[in-house]
Amino acid sequence: MENIAAKLLWTFLGLLIVLNWGMLKTSIVRKIVARVGGRYGIRWYQPWINLIKLYGTRGQLSHGVMFYLGPVFRIAGGVGLFLFMPLIFGDPRWSNFAFAGDLILLLYFKFFGMLGMALGAGEGGHPYSAIGVSRGLSQYTTVEIPFTLGIIALAVQYDTLSLTEMVAAQQGGIANWTIVTNPIASAALLFSMLGIFMHAPFDLVKAPNEIPIGPPTEYHGSYLGVLRTNAAIMHITEAVLFMNLLFGGANNWIELIIKTFLIYFITVFIGVVFPRFRIEQSVRFFLGVPLILGILAIILIM
Amino acid sequence: MVTPIYIIAIALGIAFSLGFFSKGSKGIASSLFYLALTALTAIAGQWLIAFLTGDQSTVEVFTSGFKPPFSISLQMGFEEAVLLSMINIAGLLGAVYLFDQFKKYGAHLMITYLLLIMGLDVIVMTRDLFNLFVFLEIASIAMAGMALITNEGKSVQAGFKYLTATAIISAFFLIGIIFAYNFGDSLYINELLMSEGILKAGMVVSFLIIMPLILELKPFPANGWGLDMYQATHPAVGALLSGASVTASAYVLYKLAPLGGEIGYQVIAILGLITFLGSNLAGLKQSHTRRMLGYSSIAQTGLVMIVIGLQPMLGEMTLWIAFSILITNFLAKSGLFWLAGIINKDELKSWGILRKHPILLFLFVMFVIALSGLPPFPAFFGKWELIMALANSGNAWWIGLILLGSLIEAVYLFRWVGYGIKDKSFDFSINCSTYKTIPIYIMGAGLIAFVGYYLNHYFGDVVWYFIPLAFAALMFILDFLPAKLKNIIAIIGMGGYAYYMYDHFLGVDNLRFFFALIFIVGGILTLIPGFTKSGKRLGFYPAALLMFSGLGMLISATDLLQFFIAWEIMTIGSYLLIIRGKNSIKHAFSYMLFSLGGAFTMLAGFAFAQSGNPGIGLEVLSNMNYLPGLAAALIAIGFMTKTASLGLHIWLPGAHAEAESDVSPMVSAILLKAGVFGIILLFIGIGAEAATNHPLTYTLGWLGALTALIGNLGAAFQEDAKRLLAWSSIGQLGYILFAFSIMTHLGWLAGLTYTANHAAFKAILFLGIGGVVFRTKTHNMYEMGGLIKKMPLTFITVLFAIITLAGIPPLSGFAGKWLFYNAVIMKEWYLQGTIVFFAGIIAFLYSFRILYAVFLGHLKDKHRKIKEAPIWYLIPQFLLMGFIMLFSMQPELILRPFGDMISAYFPTDALTWDNGTALTSLGYWNGFRVGVIIFILFGILFGWLFLTSRKVKKIKSFNIVYAGEAPERPETTHMAHNLFAGYNKALGFLVAPGITNIWKWIDESTHDLGDFIRRIYTGNAQTYLVHIVAYTVIVFMLINFSI
Amino acid sequence: MMALEHITLIIGSSLILLGLWGLITQKNLIKIVISFTLVDAGIHILMISLGYLKNRTAPIVDGTIDNAVEQIVDPIPQAMVLTAIVIGLGITALMLSFVIRLAKDKNSLNVSNFKDLKW
Repeated sequence: MENIAAKLLWTFLGLLIVLNWGMLKTSIVRKIVARVGGRYGIRWYQPWINLIKLYGTRGQLSHGVMFYLGPVFRIAGGVGLFLFMPLIFGDPRWSNFAFAGDLILLLYFKFFGMLGMALGAGEGGHPYSAIGVSRGLSQYTTVEIPFTLGIIALAVQYDTLSLTEMVAAQQGGIANWTIVTNPIASAALLFSMLGIFMHAPFDLVKAPNEIPIGPPTEYHGSYLGVLRTNAAIMHITEAVLFMNLLFGGANNWIELIIKTFLIYFITVFIGVVFPRFRIEQSVRFFLGVPLILGILAIILIM
Repeated sequence: MVTPIYIIAIALGIAFSLGFFSKGSKGIASSLFYLALTALTAIAGQWLIAFLTGDQSTVEVFTSGFKPPFSISLQMGFEEAVLLSMINIAGLLGAVYLFDQFKKYGAHLMITYLLLIMGLDVIVMTRDLFNLFVFLEIASIAMAGMALITNEGKSVQAGFKYLTATAIISAFFLIGIIFAYNFGDSLYINELLMSEGILKAGMVVSFLIIMPLILELKPFPANGWGLDMYQATHPAVGALLSGASVTASAYVLYKLAPLGGEIGYQVIAILGLITFLGSNLAGLKQSHTRRMLGYSSIAQTGLVMIVIGLQPMLGEMTLWIAFSILITNFLAKSGLFWLAGIINKDELKSWGILRKHPILLFLFVMFVIALSGLPPFPAFFGKWELIMALANSGNAWWIGLILLGSLIEAVYLFRWVGYGIKDKSFDFSINCSTYKTIPIYIMGAGLIAFVGYYLNHYFGDVVWYFIPLAFAALMFILDFLPAKLKNIIAIIGMGGYAYYMYDHFLGVDNLRFFFALIFIVGGILTLIPGFTKSGKRLGFYPAALLMFSGLGMLISATDLLQFFIAWEIMTIGSYLLIIRGKNSIKHAFSYMLFSLGGAFTMLAGFAFAQSGNPGIGLEVLSNMNYLPGLAAALIAIGFMTKTASLGLHIWLPGAHAEAESDVSPMVSAILLKAGVFGIILLFIGIGAEAATNHPLTYTLGWLGALTALIGNLGAAFQEDAKRLLAWSSIGQLGYILFAFSIMTHLGWLAGLTYTANHAAFKAILFLGIGGVVFRTKTHNMYEMGGLIKKMPLTFITVLFAIITLAGIPPLSGFAGKWLFYNAVIMKEWYLQGTIVFFAGIIAFLYSFRILYAVFLGHLKDKHRKIKEAPIWYLIPQFLLMGFIMLFSMQPELILRPFGDMISAYFPTDALTWDNGTALTSLGYWNGFRVGVIIFILFGILFGWLFLTSRKVKKIKSFNIVYAGEAPERPETTHMAHNLFAGYNKALGFLVAPGITNIWKWIDESTHDLGDFIRRIYTGNAQTYLVHIVAYTVIVFMLINFSI
Repeated sequence: MMALEHITLIIGSSLILLGLWGLITQKNLIKIVISFTLVDAGIHILMISLGYLKNRTAPIVDGTIDNAVEQIVDPIPQAMVLTAIVIGLGITALMLSFVIRLAKDKNSLNVSNFKDLKW
């Protein structure tokens, strides 16, 4: 019993760290993007203020049960992903609940939040929500192909589907990282990472100028607060996933923070440089070079 | 025993005396006439009974005490007794049917009719060649005379053509007789057959004897004169031609065929095959009922010719096979021609009138099914034996061509059945006089009796096997009861069947028990919504139980024959179920064609598989000798038509979507699994070791993957909710095919998991959407929307089903995905696997679409007062949801038995269990922990939102942020139509109807070919004479050439 | 000098061929029927010729003939011919009656005009 309580406590602590790091990362990234565009940008503590404001909203509107549950699904998906993700290698305190399932569980659990959110937005009744979801799903299907191919390549390379074991295999210096030992599969995975983080050029799904009129306006107050909370956790967790897959995992929190920031920064960097794809363009894009890389990665292990 | 001479004496005597009756004494004349026919039938029947019961031996009768050739000899053996009984029964019943015509025409017609029947009788019995000629002439003169009953231009023309054609054929025959006498020095057939002289004379003589007999059977294409008779004369004449006349002529050919020696047999078989194929092809485009029946009759005759020609190979089985085909054609064709007379309209579509006469409709459908050679009717057994014998003697091509011909025949026959069951465009009524219906009933009863006889003959020792079939038959009889009562009876019956399965298979053969669960328990669950129907729901329960009994029989089948019969019965039942839908006529038709095509390839595969094996038990699948690769591929294709694999899938969306609300789950969640069951049996036969690099399983793996991709992609672009689900079934079955093709322990585990999951969630989805359709009366998703508020319970079940479908943890769908990844990586099928995973992600598109477009968004104005789906729809959904929850939370409970089942075939323990955690060499997963974590997490986070959100106010659906405007029309605000437009732009080309177009092209070009072929029937009597002469000359040349 | 049986054989065969030729070339219904009778007659002659034996008499057994078996020709073809003639007559009669009906129906004797049934 003591074990479980301790476990829960450590996990909760980890969650808090990840959440706060996620929010800080958001403001840093916003700042960078603004500076590239010649603007000043937000204050570094703006996300916390936003969150407090959102949770503090006095009155709220609801379109129905599913609408209400949408954000719950969403954050359950994000936190769940966090729970099944081993954070720090070799430290059982920070391995969360990774013993419940392997990499496949992580891959499929992502959809839990996506589906719930999509349904919640759907009940909101705003036509833009449906458009956003349809675009998101469309893009996601093809993002997933190079991702799957890369994952299979890694699973075969390390002969395991356990993320912990994959990280273990990468210990002992940069030369053992997947990005070095299996550059092609890594390239495929990194391409799909761009799609997963949905920065430009793959940000039509969020389409900052149009789609936010849909879900983010329908979801206000604490709904939006929950969604923002989730976004912060989610971004870091997904970066952790790629860190574990490609960059040797992390042995302590400092390493984790640096690595996740750099990983995330890749997408930001590309996003700042490139304009936005239309949805059919991005669908076709992922069926081009990333797919070929993925197939190449598979052929190499066959 | 009354000697058969009396047949001639009575017929001739009465026929002559009828001439003396003036118009005043019609009553006596007609009594005498019917008495005479009855007497003929009685004589024939008495001999038949004597042969059947005692040890009566063949009798030969010589007229006036002389030996041949100074007298005529008649032989009465078992075959003759059977055929005479058939002819005379046809004669008697036909006369009853023609009652009004005899009243109208009086003695003249009666004389003609009696002479016709007598002529046919003697043709069968006579052993004298010249006598045969005489009676052939008498029969054809009388037949031509019968053409005058319908005294109109067309009928007279037909009679004239018939007369000239048979006259010229008889002339040839006469020449043949002269030569036969000259060289063989006898006219006594028994002597001629052993005569050395004929052999020495070379083939010309036997050619001149046999060729006219072949021509009498109206071989394609020298048969325009016969077709016209079928088309233009009174339907009763068509019945006689097809039933009695063909029977007699075929027997003559059988009698005299030995004259031709080996080459003669070959020629007969080849000409028969050409007739069978050509006539069916030419019949394809036919829209005139009786002419179409004519094509079919001639095709059947061709089949009989094949059997006669293959006699050297078939040996003792020849008569049995020929009889099976003849008796079916005899009973069914007579019945159909008589029905045509009652309907008295030329167009096929006019048969829709039978909707108003259920008993006649039942007989009609039964006759056609029998004619198509489907079990359990006699013709099926004949074909089965024929195909098996052909395979045993290594004649693969013959099998292919015969089955092709059968399929073509089924095309036009089942198109016709479709009209009969569904077409509503008739605008007339029919008059069913008792004297016209009674003969049809008798033929129907006869057919059923023969079904009993054949089943007893083949399965006398396993009668229990057909108990479910008997139950389905009982439902036919009980069809007058109200639907609710029948539903209770059906469920009770199915319950009994489920208990039987439990008793017989649990622990003995768990794999079979598992499928029995899906078939029977699934069947019970999908029957429950039937309680919403009021009235009688005519025809539903017999069809449904036919299907379920077929499914059940698949499980308990122990040999190929039983399995195939079960398969076909299931197909017939499901066809009758599917065609009940409002717009199903076309889709049910295409379903039937694909099913039959599949069944025929399977039949060929079975035939190859059993060849060289001592028996036909299912174990032959693991010991194929003759063309093993082809056999396995054919069997697999057969099963894949049912699982709707890519290329064979085009029938499914229409058939499943247009079926009735409670039929869709039956056919989609349950019926498709029959194909899966078959594939499993086949793969078990191939065996784990042989399958490591088996080209078939490898190909099927790719095919399964592509099917999954195309099926799911197709589903994403549907606007029709049921079509979406139907396409999704195609995709899901693609996964299943893929999983089993992996042929490893894990692969099969994934396959079984998918099978169980699909059965559960697809039933929920079709029932849920069925309930929605039941309320909204539309299939189009963009016409729905916002229904979550009106049908929350349905939404919950559909949501759970979709989460399972998508494979999202914590529900059981994830078990399938997880096993899949492990299996794929271990099998090293990375590329195929990736396609399957891609397909899995595409499934999200339609998963979201169906939930969103139907239940979320804006409620349509006309749906504001809609109610929750009926409770009878909800009950099975929640039961199935219970199963999914159990599977999700305690996967070990279900996966462990699966693993034990599979261990019998794939002994490696690829999956181990450690305290609830599933372990493979690659990964691990604990369903219970994941479930608990997610549910607790969900609860906590829900609490978090609940705490932080205050004063939540419910608002109306249009209260959204919409550029300052307030939208008011759900139609314009519910963004549901063409939801994945961008995706369609990018990848829509993948589901462009390419395969459909290929099939369409095949369909059209076959029809065009048929249409082209039938152009030789110009209608000119002279052309037909040219055909006969040319046919004779060409066949002669070809024989000479090939010798 | 050709033997009688050869002459009859040739005549018979020629008649058959002539009749067949008529059957497939003549358009007039009556001529078609006549062609058929030609075929029929040819066959009859053929039958007789095959049954013919030199220097024998007709197979009519009465007091004037002793040792009948050696003096008469084969009686069977003769009997067959008789029957065949009767049958041929019947068929010809029925054909003609059909022709009458056809002619009445369309007021024509051209066989090409009776093509109401086809395909």
